[in-house]
Amino acid sequence: MSATFSGLRLSSTGSYPRVGDAFEFQVLRRAIAGFDRGERTTADVLDAENEMTRRAIADQVKAGLDIVTDGQIRWYDPVSYLAGKLENVRIKGLLRFFDTNFYFRQPVLSGKPLRKAPLLTDEYAFARNALGHLPTPGDKAGKLAMKPLLTGPYTLAKLSLAPPSENGSAGSMASLEARTMAYADAIAAEIGALAQMGAEQIQIDEPAALKYPQDWPIFAQSLAPLVKARDAAAAPGRKAELALYTYFHDSAPLYEKLVQLPVDIVALDFTYNPKLVDVAAAAGSPKPLGLGLVDGRNTRLERPAVVAKQIERLLPRIQGARAYLGTSSGLEYLPRERAFAKLELLGKIRAVLNG
Amino acid sequence: MSRTKLDDLGLKLPLFPTTSVGSFPKPDYLVKARAEFSKKKITAEQLRELERKATAFWIETQEKLGVDVLVDGEMYRGDMVAFFAERLPGFAEGGLVRSYGNRFYHKPIITGEVKWPGPITVDWWKYAQSLTKKPVKGMLTGAYTVMDWSFNEHYPDRRSAALALAGVIRKEVEALIAAGCKIVQIDEPALSVRPEELPIAIEAMDGTTKGLRAYFITHACYGAFEHIYPGMLDLRVDNFDLEMSNSDLDLLELFRRHPFTKDISFGVVDVHSHTLEDAVAVRQRVEQALTILPKDKIWIDPDCGLKTRTVEEAIGKLRACVDAANAFRN
Repeated sequence: MSATFSGLRLSSTGSYPRVGDAFEFQVLRRAIAGFDRGERTTADVLDAENEMTRRAIADQVKAGLDIVTDGQIRWYDPVSYLAGKLENVRIKGLLRFFDTNFYFRQPVLSGKPLRKAPLLTDEYAFARNALGHLPTPGDKAGKLAMKPLLTGPYTLAKLSLAPPSENGSAGSMASLEARTMAYADAIAAEIGALAQMGAEQIQIDEPAALKYPQDWPIFAQSLAPLVKARDAAAAPGRKAELALYTYFHDSAPLYEKLVQLPVDIVALDFTYNPKLVDVAAAAGSPKPLGLGLVDGRNTRLERPAVVAKQIERLLPRIQGARAYLGTSSGLEYLPRERAFAKLELLGKIRAVLNG
Repeated sequence: MSRTKLDDLGLKLPLFPTTSVGSFPKPDYLVKARAEFSKKKITAEQLRELERKATAFWIETQEKLGVDVLVDGEMYRGDMVAFFAERLPGFAEGGLVRSYGNRFYHKPIITGEVKWPGPITVDWWKYAQSLTKKPVKGMLTGAYTVMDWSFNEHYPDRRSAALALAGVIRKEVEALIAAGCKIVQIDEPALSVRPEELPIAIEAMDGTTKGLRAYFITHACYGAFEHIYPGMLDLRVDNFDLEMSNSDLDLLELFRRHPFTKDISFGVVDVHSHTLEDAVAVRQRVEQALTILPKDKIWIDPDCGLKTRTVEEAIGKLRACVDAANAFRN
């Protein structure tokens, strides 16, 4: 890679399709359907999840990514999957997830959401192991990393309900601030656990932070426990970076505030505002950026040369010239073959930069 | 109510006209037939006969209940966007994407210039209208929603895709009007999802309905309308069909602050509940509506399409709407 772009790495933004049109890619769909009919067991569903997770990881490696995820194959949705594992949380009806055609199940809090057991450590261990079993491309030896991700506390809180207590009084989780900080405690504990397992980068998804700028003080406050957990887990030779991922809204109005947050990396969705490249290039960034320049929500394939030009403008303006090229959002919103094509596109863009 | 417009169109509707949003549950024999057709065990013509039978059932049912403005029940349709995407040149079927849980669908892709191939819904409208003297609504999905619920690989941006679709859907509206349809509903459930794009939705609806002689209704549901109200009143339609029951009539508070200037099809029964509403509860909803809205602007209907209910539940919910309207007329 040219020295100018040596700091650019290709990174997954999170989710990957759990099915495909071909029969072999429907193993999980069939397993869950069979389970719902009483014909398959939880072990069958787990086997199918494992298989589709391995496939998701393999696709990312095949496409040339440097930082991969488990594709969130096991996640029912970005909200209830985590919230449902916490005490004092019931999962209720479906709501639209931001402006997508995807629906999440809404958590309802009867008290402070408490983490009584690890949330993702087992599946993170599985994913890392699966990555280790894959043949590593020659140029990636020692460079591939598995990134766990968590939905952030503010987004979880914003999308949760906390109805009044039985006596009609507002419950302890009635205020957004209370819910956010409660979730922050749980997420912070999970960050600590993942960091101690050796995760080099932990992704925190906070799409709600862009959509509800009026809550910025609460959102910003919620990062403090996460950062503290990251620092507490640091040890000689081991330090996890927190990567804040935002999407599904225009981040230009909040850009300057975002890059000042006490996280290590800030990732942006460039699909909502064609001028965001101008904004970021003009202002620069004091920290590495995640560059969501490839649309994770539309099947159209961008032209590598066009995206490469955008990176040429941005990278010199980023402190340390370190950035993570990825899709604007997770890829679960696309059909499988197109999701893979988007991953391959990242490699093609880097090839253009390399000349 | 736009009584003048309705009168000009020759439509004599009572106070509190009753209607429904569009879809009814498919009878079991039709569900089975659709599955058999997908496995090529029956022909398209055999399926169509059963669709006609089910349509006739629902027209007769609405008449018996005393519904004022009828719908054909969409016995021949599945998804409201896929139905049109499958028939419009310029679209291709996409691969599977997840909507929630273990539910997947083929999201359409705009791959080329979208074109109107000729009438898509007119024959079904004509058939349904031939079975009754009461007006039957023409039912279409709006350009903004079709755009938002599809991938776009052809048009440079979302606005140009929506406007291109508006031009195509306009031709379908023209064909319905030419066939004699006087009330056309253009559904826009995606309306409130991206508030910053409301101007695009307004522009697209303009392109669809401007200058055409019909009473236009648009249906939107389960959205955060506080972000697009009162701006959404600029949509070039006569009547907004809104889900009110499911949201505990929250929208009335918005209407209190900014007057609602159109006619409203006021959803008084919850289509996501298996419970048949108590007549008193339904009347209370109408009473609350009357504290804010003039009586001659109110139509009464369910919150949304009824296709997820059983046949019996759908009939019960329609009856609740009709009973409420009759109570207030008397």
